[in-house]
Amino acid sequence: MNIKQIRKWLVSGFLALVATSTATAQTFVFTAIPDEDETRLVERFRGIADYLSEQLEVDVRYIPVKSYAAAITAFRNNQVQLAWFGGLSGVQARALVPGSEALAQGVEDQAFYNYFIAHKSTGLDRADELPEGIRGKTFTFGSKGSTSGRLIPEYHIRERFNEAPETVFSRVGFSGNHTRTLRLVESGTYDVGALNYKVWEKELEDGNINTNDVKIIWKTPGFPNYQWTIRGDVDDRFGEGFKEKVREALLNLDDPALLESFPREGFIPASNDDYEPIRSVASELGIID
Amino acid sequence: MRDFAFDGLSASFGGQRVIGPLSLAVKQGEHVALVGKSGAGKSTLIKLLYERLTREASLVPQGLGLVNALPVFHNVFMGQLDKHPLWYNTLTLIRPFRKDRDVIRGLLDDLGIPDKQWTPAATLSGGERQRVAIARALYRQAPLLLADEPISALDGPMAHLVMQALTDRFSTSVIALHDVDMALTYCNRIVGIQDGQVALDQPASRLRTSDIMTLY
Amino acid sequence: MLFFAIAVAGLFIADIAITTANPWRDLGQFFIGVATPNFFSTEGLMTALLRTVAFGFVGVTLGSLCGFLLALVYRFMPVRIFCAFIRAIHELFWALIFLQFFGFHPLTGVLAIAIPYAGIFAKVYSEILDESDPEPSRLLPPGTGAIAAFLYARIPDCWVQLRTYTAYRLECGLRSSAILGFVGLPTLGFYLESSFSQGLYSDAGAMLILFYVLIATMPLWVKPKLLPFYILAAPFFLGEGFPIVWGNVERFFTEDIVPSPLRNGEGLAGLSTWLGDLMVTEALPGIWNTIVLTQIALVATGILSLLAFPLISKHFGGPVRRTSGHVFLVIARSTPEYILAYILLQLWGPSMLPAVVALALHNGGIIGHLIGRQTNTIELRPDAPTGFTRYSWELVPRVYRSFLAFLFYRWEIIMRETAILGILGIYTLGFYVDSAIQNIQFDRAMILILITASLNIGVDILGRYIRRKLALQTMPTC
Repeated sequence: MNIKQIRKWLVSGFLALVATSTATAQTFVFTAIPDEDETRLVERFRGIADYLSEQLEVDVRYIPVKSYAAAITAFRNNQVQLAWFGGLSGVQARALVPGSEALAQGVEDQAFYNYFIAHKSTGLDRADELPEGIRGKTFTFGSKGSTSGRLIPEYHIRERFNEAPETVFSRVGFSGNHTRTLRLVESGTYDVGALNYKVWEKELEDGNINTNDVKIIWKTPGFPNYQWTIRGDVDDRFGEGFKEKVREALLNLDDPALLESFPREGFIPASNDDYEPIRSVASELGIID
Repeated sequence: MRDFAFDGLSASFGGQRVIGPLSLAVKQGEHVALVGKSGAGKSTLIKLLYERLTREASLVPQGLGLVNALPVFHNVFMGQLDKHPLWYNTLTLIRPFRKDRDVIRGLLDDLGIPDKQWTPAATLSGGERQRVAIARALYRQAPLLLADEPISALDGPMAHLVMQALTDRFSTSVIALHDVDMALTYCNRIVGIQDGQVALDQPASRLRTSDIMTLY
Repeated sequence: MLFFAIAVAGLFIADIAITTANPWRDLGQFFIGVATPNFFSTEGLMTALLRTVAFGFVGVTLGSLCGFLLALVYRFMPVRIFCAFIRAIHELFWALIFLQFFGFHPLTGVLAIAIPYAGIFAKVYSEILDESDPEPSRLLPPGTGAIAAFLYARIPDCWVQLRTYTAYRLECGLRSSAILGFVGLPTLGFYLESSFSQGLYSDAGAMLILFYVLIATMPLWVKPKLLPFYILAAPFFLGEGFPIVWGNVERFFTEDIVPSPLRNGEGLAGLSTWLGDLMVTEALPGIWNTIVLTQIALVATGILSLLAFPLISKHFGGPVRRTSGHVFLVIARSTPEYILAYILLQLWGPSMLPAVVALALHNGGIIGHLIGRQTNTIELRPDAPTGFTRYSWELVPRVYRSFLAFLFYRWEIIMRETAILGILGIYTLGFYVDSAIQNIQFDRAMILILITASLNIGVDILGRYIRRKLALQTMPTC
């Protein structure tokens, strides 16, 4: 009985090793923060993978992840070499991977902004500053690691009320992503939420928002957001000049369908320094050391 | 097998002395029957002897000590686990060797259960289980037998067969028996135990059933 | 009584509310989704199912082998402590830890199951081995090797029990494996989470149905003869993942989990402020919420199982009632509480209520099933009362002791689950662990995980003490 089991175990253990060590070695892998509905992300980034694969002449693969942290960790662990990060996740990732750099950002990402939205039952209206009336309501952020879903809204809430969100609101939640924030406020699960304006506009355009139930109450000032970030060691692995080729490919991306899926007008060069404002806000809020 | 002699054998249970202190000396060739009321201390004496003679004795305890999940063959084979290397024992667990099968089959044949070799011990009747424990003791081939009521679950002819086999194959034995006639028939020395002490110690040839009955 | 009072007190403190404006509409949509399953939604569904089974098999096999070896030396105190420690950390926490350095390598999922299971197996196996009849070993000829003695005299005697328990654990392993998808491994939970968060209830319903079918048909496809085949084949179906970069492993242990004050050379003074801050802002609220939720869930579980066991008891109702009772309890207990809580959270909004209901449904389903089965072995006198009197005078008193035994046994399990539910957004310890990981502060996460583990060990000891005090005995459940 026992011998048989030991034999089984040895054989299967060995096979497990063989099976796993043959994993792909020279595939260029990228990921993206899961800030929206997964179906949409998969559709969008598969298109990007095909495009990059054609331009770079290597295998390019997109892997979906379940959290912002998972995207950062995969980047840090060199299991992905390129990532579509938000402002904050990009800053965190670049701090963890020396030599990595912001390659390109969307035209709109230079001055990105947020909407605070509210359910109709709150009776709140659009205003020029964050309305006092949100005090005591329930509030949802997006993901814990999100720039437009967490960092910027929290920053403005603290600026406006001089208090932590937990004391301003009767209940604070994390919906997970921008689409969920929209759905939760629309259904009244939360009174108020904050989300990325791009998601709002895209959903509005697609006719997915019931504007009787949910409306915008405030628009934040602009801040730098999403960007493509690449590891510093890709040239060693994929050949001299690879990083530049990736940058070129991204900047030259002009397929309207692909751009529309982000949605961005196009991509422009970006640098690590562009995200200094995000870094200082995050550090102020104690999200990064 | 050397002769053995022990002095000051005693055992307590829960602060209560159940046996001894007593002395017992047995010579090669003796077949000693321990007789006496239940609770007199026969089982305890067998246990005490086994503790001191483990190396040279085969034991048939009252509880039999069978591994219920294993077939009869393996229960008997356990009598010689010390004689083989680990790989041999392990392989036997999965698939027994022919020569061991033949030997053990022969033993079971003598004990009247030849067809039970591959039956799990759990499904055997009381009498069959007892014979498996006896087969294990025989298979061990120790010079001395220590047995505690080895025929309690066997009917007349089978009991005789087993007692015959035990006294034939072991040159020396100490057997606790409640059946006085059996004791007189198969053993050559009778030791009566009463309240933890030796109350009678005579060659069987000098005793009759009635002499022993005084112990009960 | 004391426990009941604590739970009632807990109810007042706890945050229980349905925050959704229209919870019943969502719940209705969900049930419509389950009634109209869409089996062809996700291309990866079948692969996910296969991966779920593969991770379950490999994890449980590895866990049972290691657990068996540990069981052999379980009498040594350090081994006991080690096992208590590794099983006090939930599979999901293990997965979150391994994700940080193995990343999306199959080893992450395999170890996340195998490690805590090894700890559980070690304990249960050693209990089973201790109960085997010692007499045969005493009778072996002196000079018999220890291994041969073990193989002949110990193993066969408890073989059936070992096998039954391992098979039972395999079912638990499939559940654990499915849940791992929630943190990104390629099992069922991955797709379930995606479908749910997008409101694709028909897709989610299909996945749940497939999962129930998988669990319910286990006796049909898990046969002893086929096991070697499954165990050999399973490693091939774990998926490729990404190669392990060993530098990451080293970095994780030598840098990431070193408390940041030490890393930055602030010394012990810095460490104590850091720890103090961590305790006050995260650990203590987390511990408090975890305990409150655990106690409420424990009592709710107790009430639910007392209510549920008549559903399958032969002393009440006819075969139709009992069959539907069985179906209900099977669904309740084979849905992992994490998934139940996730579903209810999606439908009712975030508060402790979904967690309490999920924990009570799952655990109440298990205990109700066990107690119900136990009542079926009771023969009542022909003139026994019927109806509620029969329930309260004849049956409950007879099963009450084992009911308490099961309940206290599951106390620790409920606490472990409670902690993990924090990942879903309830403010138990898991919430703070998840937050720390989201903020890439693994040092904080590790401290919080260690705190969670000690809390579990504490409750385990307390539960065992109470069971011993009341002389209650049970077989382990999961």
